[in-house]
Amino acid sequence: MATQKGGYTPSLEKFLDSLKSRPVQASVELLISLLKRRQIKGSEACATATAHILLQVVARDKWTNVDQLLGRIQLIGRKLVAAQPHELATGNIVRRVLGLIRDEASEERNDATTDSPRPASPSLPAVSHASSPSKPARPPLLPSIGGSFARTQSMFNLLSDPNVILSTGSNASTPGQVSGASTPILNPQATNVSSLRSEVIDGIQEIMDEIKMVDEQVQTYADIFIHPGDYILVYQPSRTVQKFLTRAASKRKFTVFLVVDPSTTATSEGQYASLLKSMASNGSSVITVLNAGLMAYMSRVDKVILGARAITAQGGVVVDSGAAAIARAARERRRTVIVLGGVYKLSSESKLLSESQIEWGDPSKYVSFADGSLVSQVRVKNAVSEFLPADQVDTYITNLGAHAQENLHTIIADHYKEEDINFDLYGKAQR
Amino acid sequence: MSTATSDPPAEAKPKNPEKPQTTPANAAAPANAESAAPLAAPKLSGAELKAKAKAEKQARRAQAKASKDATTGGAPAPASTGQSGHPAAESKGNKAKGKQDGALPANLGVTGRATGARGSVPTIPPKPENPIPECFGHLSMAKRLPITQADKDVHPTVLTLGQQMATFAIDESITRLKATLLAFKKVIDSYTTPPGNTLARHLTPHVLNPQIEYLSACRPMCFSMGNAIRWLKLQVSKIDPDVPDIDAKKQLCASIDAFIQERINFADVVITQKTADYIQNGDVILVYGRNTLVQRTLLHARLVDRKKFDVIIIDDPYERQGQVLAKTLTAEGIKVSYSGDFGALQYQVKLADRIILGAEGMFSNGALYGRCGTSDLAIAAKDFGKQVYALCETINITERVSTDSLTYNEIDPERCSSSSFRLLYDTTPSHYLSTVVTEISSAQPTSVSYLLRKLEDSN
Repeated sequence: MATQKGGYTPSLEKFLDSLKSRPVQASVELLISLLKRRQIKGSEACATATAHILLQVVARDKWTNVDQLLGRIQLIGRKLVAAQPHELATGNIVRRVLGLIRDEASEERNDATTDSPRPASPSLPAVSHASSPSKPARPPLLPSIGGSFARTQSMFNLLSDPNVILSTGSNASTPGQVSGASTPILNPQATNVSSLRSEVIDGIQEIMDEIKMVDEQVQTYADIFIHPGDYILVYQPSRTVQKFLTRAASKRKFTVFLVVDPSTTATSEGQYASLLKSMASNGSSVITVLNAGLMAYMSRVDKVILGARAITAQGGVVVDSGAAAIARAARERRRTVIVLGGVYKLSSESKLLSESQIEWGDPSKYVSFADGSLVSQVRVKNAVSEFLPADQVDTYITNLGAHAQENLHTIIADHYKEEDINFDLYGKAQR
Repeated sequence: MSTATSDPPAEAKPKNPEKPQTTPANAAAPANAESAAPLAAPKLSGAELKAKAKAEKQARRAQAKASKDATTGGAPAPASTGQSGHPAAESKGNKAKGKQDGALPANLGVTGRATGARGSVPTIPPKPENPIPECFGHLSMAKRLPITQADKDVHPTVLTLGQQMATFAIDESITRLKATLLAFKKVIDSYTTPPGNTLARHLTPHVLNPQIEYLSACRPMCFSMGNAIRWLKLQVSKIDPDVPDIDAKKQLCASIDAFIQERINFADVVITQKTADYIQNGDVILVYGRNTLVQRTLLHARLVDRKKFDVIIIDDPYERQGQVLAKTLTAEGIKVSYSGDFGALQYQVKLADRIILGAEGMFSNGALYGRCGTSDLAIAAKDFGKQVYALCETINITERVSTDSLTYNEIDPERCSSSSFRLLYDTTPSHYLSTVVTEISSAQPTSVSYLLRKLEDSN
């Protein structure tokens, strides 16, 4: 998508450019449709877009207390996740931001008021059982929606009764939550909103920096794992994997079996040009492998390096379709399988992740729509991503270092709040 | 290739002055003839010509002999190719040496005739354009040997066949075997034993071997060709020297026909029927790419046995032959689901009841030599406890043993450049196959060696 210079094709860059000039709610809707149409795809792009949109929400939406903000983020998070449920990074960022807000809020309270645990505790049950009807912390959500509507439709608002808009807004997005009681925590926090806002914004910016820095940080482990003379097999390498190889090539001489996407064979040279160039200039060689089944190569391969789309707490990995077969072949020959991915890809979500979780995509990849007899008679399937079970991965390298499977839980615990982990981003949003 | 095209005119130049009367065809190069002919008097007498020709012939023979010695040096390979017509060792011979050897006699024959001083013409022309990665240097690759570089003894039918094999127009092992045998029939048909020789002694080294060398230079022989050629040589050697030429040839052709009928045609029918019996109503059958035997089996089960079943086709994205199969099957009312690559392989395998694989060959340890990707499929099938049937004519079984896919393999010549590399086959270990269906039996893959012995006894 990004390579098309057509000017009208939406992309992440264009979306980010347009953020400032657009009302927040409109940006949210735009992002949702971009995600749905897979015009923003790939975990890094999705994560970046999510972080940006949440930043806008925090910075530009009207909110008067923490719970209101949390509710707003949760709502948007659900919509984003529903737009592309296979992309776990979106949900991860939402959870990170939620955790961030909670952290900042509790700090603020510690500073400002003495009864800090009290406001935090009622929000707990509300968030963890999102479907339960008793939500003391929920109602503040309404003004925030009303607020955003008021912003986006300010002209309409001029002559209308604010209550009407308020109720339609709530009905459209969160029906059944009009329990309407005001909360006592509202007032003490109002004073801190602006400082909290800037803290949260800083926090989100840190997350965005982290996403940007992943490639750099991951590649510092390259020369530990790649040894001179190794034969490394990579499958449709992401930028992270490419940089990892490039870094290793600057110190070692080894051979890479580069498995490319069959449908892009013609363009693959351009796609991986910088990798090929830097590998060649350092004396390492790249063999572009045009095979789908790679069992044949496994007796020669030492290590398989895969880029993750997402990593689950149990160690399963969402990978590009086809990678699972490769990992299985590697297991057959007892080859090491290394998975690369930033911590932001590490997801606590385990609901949708079973072995059957497969994202199906555009069937015209291999079968032309012009081929009538195939199109009308044959059921053509093309998987985009699939799930790689934990037992076929040996080690995970994130920007924090290399981890064993058992460590992933602790990393998740470090990065997400328990209440956000339990928060069901999927179920409700699919209404 | 470039040298090949430039050769004829260059050759024509000096040749014309020497013997213009015998080469009316060379008038095609009139410019040369005009300039050269008046100068050099065409004074070579018939006797001189004869002597010259004789000398050349001897030189060529010596060359051929030397080359043969060179190739036979390592293993008893191509000279007695029957024993080892096969991808690796054979082709290695043909690749490293065979290429030069194959080209040299022809080239020298041509250039030597011309002047003799032109021996320095590049004799290894198309070598450097195919950079095979070092770690795969031991594997063989088909190559388009220009017809002009072929040995002059190669029969025209074989010449064509070689080109068809080199371009993969004839691809599957069993089809190649059949085509080879039919071509050899023609070779034998047009053969006459020179005076002072016997057919049994003369045919194999002087007529069959050049054909075989040429064929395996075009594309490394498959196991079945190796087996069949060994058989054919045995038949030739068995022929009684007292039998007149005509009868001997008839006898040979008849036994080739019988061989084709028995080991290929009937074998296919039997395997097809047997495998179709395994298919149950309501089954989901998973196949990989397109294999003639598998396709026939599915059609047989559908059209003859009237079974209802669905088919999942997993395809090799670089060949896409599965689409052809998909069309054929849907035309017969079979429900087909098609996947262009190995994405979601496990999921697809889970949906299937049986996996039917076509084999390019079988090793005596029960391993299957098949299209690259076959073993990935078989492994996934094993993971989910699905039945895996491997279909293979016994002629494809070799006595060799392979434990990994890089022992015997072939590189795709179309995709062997600095930016691409592709292996054509892989080896599936025997424990991933449930049943090997041959025309003799359907049994455990480990019983292949037993089958082989049984066959040898019967020969």
